[in-house]
Amino acid sequence: MSTATAAPTDDSRTGTTRNAVGAGTARGPARPAAPAPLAPPPAVGRLRRALDPGTARGKLARLALAAVVPVAVAAVLWGSGTWPAALTVDATAPLDRVSDWIVDNRETHWVFLYVLLHWSNTAIDAIDGVYLLLRWLGWAGTGTAAVLLSWRAAGGGRRGLRVAVTTAAVFAACGLLGMWEPTMVTLALMAVSVAAAAVLGVLLGLAAGLSDRVHRALRPVLDTMQVLPAFAYLLPFVLVFGIGSPAALFSTVIYAAPPMARLTAMGLRGADPGVLEASASLGASRLQRLRTARLPLARAEILLGLNQTIMMALSMVVIASVIGAGGLGDEVYQALATVDVGRALAAGIPIVLLAVWLDRTTAAAGERLDDPVRADGFGPLRTWAARAAAPAAVAAAVTAALAARAAGATAWPEGWTVAIARPVNLAKDWIVANLSEGVPVVGGTLVWAGNFTEWLLNPLRDGLQAMPWWSVLLLVAALARLVGTWRTAATATAAMAAVGVLGVWGRSLNTLSQVLAGLAVTLLLGIAVGILAARVRWVERALRPVLDTLQTMPQFVYLIPVVALFNVGRAAAVAAAVVYALPAVVRITTQGLRQVDPAAMEAARSLGATGVQQLRQVQLPLARPALLLAVNQGVVLVLAVVIIGGMVGGGALGYDVVKGLSRGDLGLGLVAGTAIVCLGLVLDRVTQPAGARTKQ
Amino acid sequence: MTTTAPVPAPAPATPGGKNRPGDAPAPVFSVRNLWKVFGPKAERIPGSEAAGLSAAELRERTGCTAAVRDVSFDVHPGEVFVVMGLSGSGKSTLVRCLTRLIEPTSGSLSIDGEDVLGMDRSRLRELRRRRAAMVFQHFGLLPHRTVVDNIAYGLEIQGVGRAERRRRAAEMLEKVGLAGMGRRRPAQLSGGQQQRVGLARALACDPEVLLFDEPFSALDPIVRRDMQDEVVRLHREEGRTMVFITHDLSEALRLGDRIALMRDGRIVQLGIPEEIVGSPADDYVRDFVRDVPREQVVTARTAMRPARGDEAESSGPAVSPDATVASVIEAVARTGGPARVMDGRRCLGVVDQQRLLAVVAGITPDAAPAAPAAPGTAEAA
Repeated sequence: MSTATAAPTDDSRTGTTRNAVGAGTARGPARPAAPAPLAPPPAVGRLRRALDPGTARGKLARLALAAVVPVAVAAVLWGSGTWPAALTVDATAPLDRVSDWIVDNRETHWVFLYVLLHWSNTAIDAIDGVYLLLRWLGWAGTGTAAVLLSWRAAGGGRRGLRVAVTTAAVFAACGLLGMWEPTMVTLALMAVSVAAAAVLGVLLGLAAGLSDRVHRALRPVLDTMQVLPAFAYLLPFVLVFGIGSPAALFSTVIYAAPPMARLTAMGLRGADPGVLEASASLGASRLQRLRTARLPLARAEILLGLNQTIMMALSMVVIASVIGAGGLGDEVYQALATVDVGRALAAGIPIVLLAVWLDRTTAAAGERLDDPVRADGFGPLRTWAARAAAPAAVAAAVTAALAARAAGATAWPEGWTVAIARPVNLAKDWIVANLSEGVPVVGGTLVWAGNFTEWLLNPLRDGLQAMPWWSVLLLVAALARLVGTWRTAATATAAMAAVGVLGVWGRSLNTLSQVLAGLAVTLLLGIAVGILAARVRWVERALRPVLDTLQTMPQFVYLIPVVALFNVGRAAAVAAAVVYALPAVVRITTQGLRQVDPAAMEAARSLGATGVQQLRQVQLPLARPALLLAVNQGVVLVLAVVIIGGMVGGGALGYDVVKGLSRGDLGLGLVAGTAIVCLGLVLDRVTQPAGARTKQ
Repeated sequence: MTTTAPVPAPAPATPGGKNRPGDAPAPVFSVRNLWKVFGPKAERIPGSEAAGLSAAELRERTGCTAAVRDVSFDVHPGEVFVVMGLSGSGKSTLVRCLTRLIEPTSGSLSIDGEDVLGMDRSRLRELRRRRAAMVFQHFGLLPHRTVVDNIAYGLEIQGVGRAERRRRAAEMLEKVGLAGMGRRRPAQLSGGQQQRVGLARALACDPEVLLFDEPFSALDPIVRRDMQDEVVRLHREEGRTMVFITHDLSEALRLGDRIALMRDGRIVQLGIPEEIVGSPADDYVRDFVRDVPREQVVTARTAMRPARGDEAESSGPAVSPDATVASVIEAVARTGGPARVMDGRRCLGVVDQQRLLAVVAGITPDAAPAAPAAPGTAEAA
């Protein structure tokens, strides 16, 4: 699609329609002007122009020149079919040996005895400690504490009331659905992992915020970590710690820490230099400046980082059920394994509610900080109240807990639950019976899924797998070169080649075909809805709360409804991926279109452009950076869920990971995990415009 | 520009004049051959042949920018020393060099005879904490703190206890006219009020010298006038030494006991306002001060001629040698006759209508012995 945006299209229009003038100049780099006065011989000039690295064609021509010899040699040596066996390295066997060695030596080797075992034990102790506390508090105490602390975090008073009510409703719903116990298990794991991730993130962020060298070293690592699917994080920790909550905890911490580190560094770096100078001029030492000026100035960013870390941790804690995390995720996982949608939904709803609760509460806390006019004049009474709030909340929670204990009701009362599994399953059966097939005209969900698989997924997969291996590499290189530099092209090509070397070429292309199909659907729908939302105000207003909620939901939850609708299979995985990626694409598109320079729009209108003309000639070209970002985000998000789709019949790499985990075949899983990382790198690099990286 | 605005008749002719001791005192700041060069291998520029190049040439040849070039001056105790120049002339860099917020490239710099460039970190912090406090153009207030806590910020850094610093901050709040606003946050204040907080924060440290970096440039004209009056009042009350950076000529003339005019990092002229206006050192300065109403800057001492005959004993109006020509015009117009310039009981000379008109017109009157701005004026003033 990058080639489509290259210049020649508006050439014809400049002469005929006047509007195109504005669009043409706004579009950016003008084509090279008439030949230079001292023109070299025409042939040389043509050659030089053909190889001009400033144009898309020039870039490709240079790449083709550079690639022609190696490609020919490779094709002759290893043939043009699928990835040649001669270039494959068997990584599974050595990885299995490593895995076996670790299993054999876990009890004896000093690294485990004196380091990792301690970590592991500490993790278990911490999680158990929190869990026991929650248990001791019982539903009454925990609920009271959660409501009061959320109310306080949101600023107390009437302001925090909404958050408090939300919290109460969320906890009540968790109990009503019969999921109180799993919710507490998840909460305990969340509490420990968020605390650890926040501390780790803040420390890294401090280092990167205060030292340029650390910042330069850390940024690419964090950038890359953020594009990798959650699934890829699980296996290394399983390898070291074995299945169980320590592995879940550590993979969650590593997965969730980057946004905290990143935003902390950003806040520290973005601090108003005038304030810092004033602080220095008053003789503040470095430590004083950090404590009194830098950190307080970065509070908003740090809180935003905490919000993102919490949301990512929740997402991961749920996914980590496949490595023995327990809790709500495990309920969903078990239910999905038997395609019991009712049970999956009963556990899925609490996950969504937890996400909404955590997001609203931290967002409200952030807003409170942003507000400069907050609390003009803390009266002595209010200061006292503010200081006493947290201890008072704890006291109230303990009182409630004791009261509940006295009444003998620490566990959620059995009579207070609503069993939704059965009605949901009935509804699902009804859907399967009535909507899946034979609906006049539209067909039915299973028909759609079948058609989608047959007419899009299969040809795409077979086509990709039938392509000569070197042409896939060449295609990746060309795309990466078009959107980026030689370095991007080299990284992307190397990552793609690594997939082949690992011996999972075919399965990776299968995953890739799902990603591409999902991306195509996501972009079609997302950009269409985005355009609509940008042009029609009420659509945007109606969509906003929906998008807000969708964006806070953990990836895992999306698998539940698609299984209900499409049964298991690749189509279901792709559908989940599309639904998951859609909100981000819609939002970025809408914002990009909205932010188009109003002057350019006004100019187009004053020239009499119709709505469609404005959109095509002004808005879309000017919103190109946003659209490219939407593509990039779309790819990353789709990949993340397509991989998880391995749990609902998506097959390919995701399934390898699941299989590796469930059978203890870590070599297989690790190879698939590495391939996922490589695929993530490829997809990110070929969609990430060169400028985007520096801008963030 | 603002230079065309008429300079209002200042209440005292030179606000800080009376505080200045007569004999040459030890300077507060003594700056000699100070350089600040930004760019690669900046330390090689001062003293090399590149030092004489123009700004554009220097940048082209070495990639360096000299923000302060070979600047020397003294700041005397109790005076308001104004550094003025257009943006990019290096004045803000210069004032930051004084407390090493920007590290000078070369030269020497001392405060009360103590070498600033040789100070170690803790000594330098002491200097910034207690001896020199700065007021910034964009205030530099901490947005998350109340006004009182902002004012107390310097004291907090010094390690003063909470109760004591709150008490002193409340005092300062009163002093800058913000009583009752202590619990607000900076974002709730107007620009002028924010700068009053900035001023109070600097005053709370009770520094020996106050440094102002274009403190009022971001304010509305009327607020700016108020703030200038505030500075004049503070200076009159406390007699604190001030170094004041501005790009506004009328502000410089209003506040400054002495003015250093900077261009491209150099001081092109240094003198009392009267000298700057009355005898510009070069065309650049002349151009700069062209629109200044001279009668409001030039004093009777400069405009007078020796008394002839019995003029010294006549009954005409008596004026102080430091009175501006504008005020003498009023006296002369009322009585019609020439005014006597009296230093106590001694008559230094007389000013008549011809002399006054010559000042207003900006011409040298007859080849009179008292040329405007005789070299000795700076010492006498």
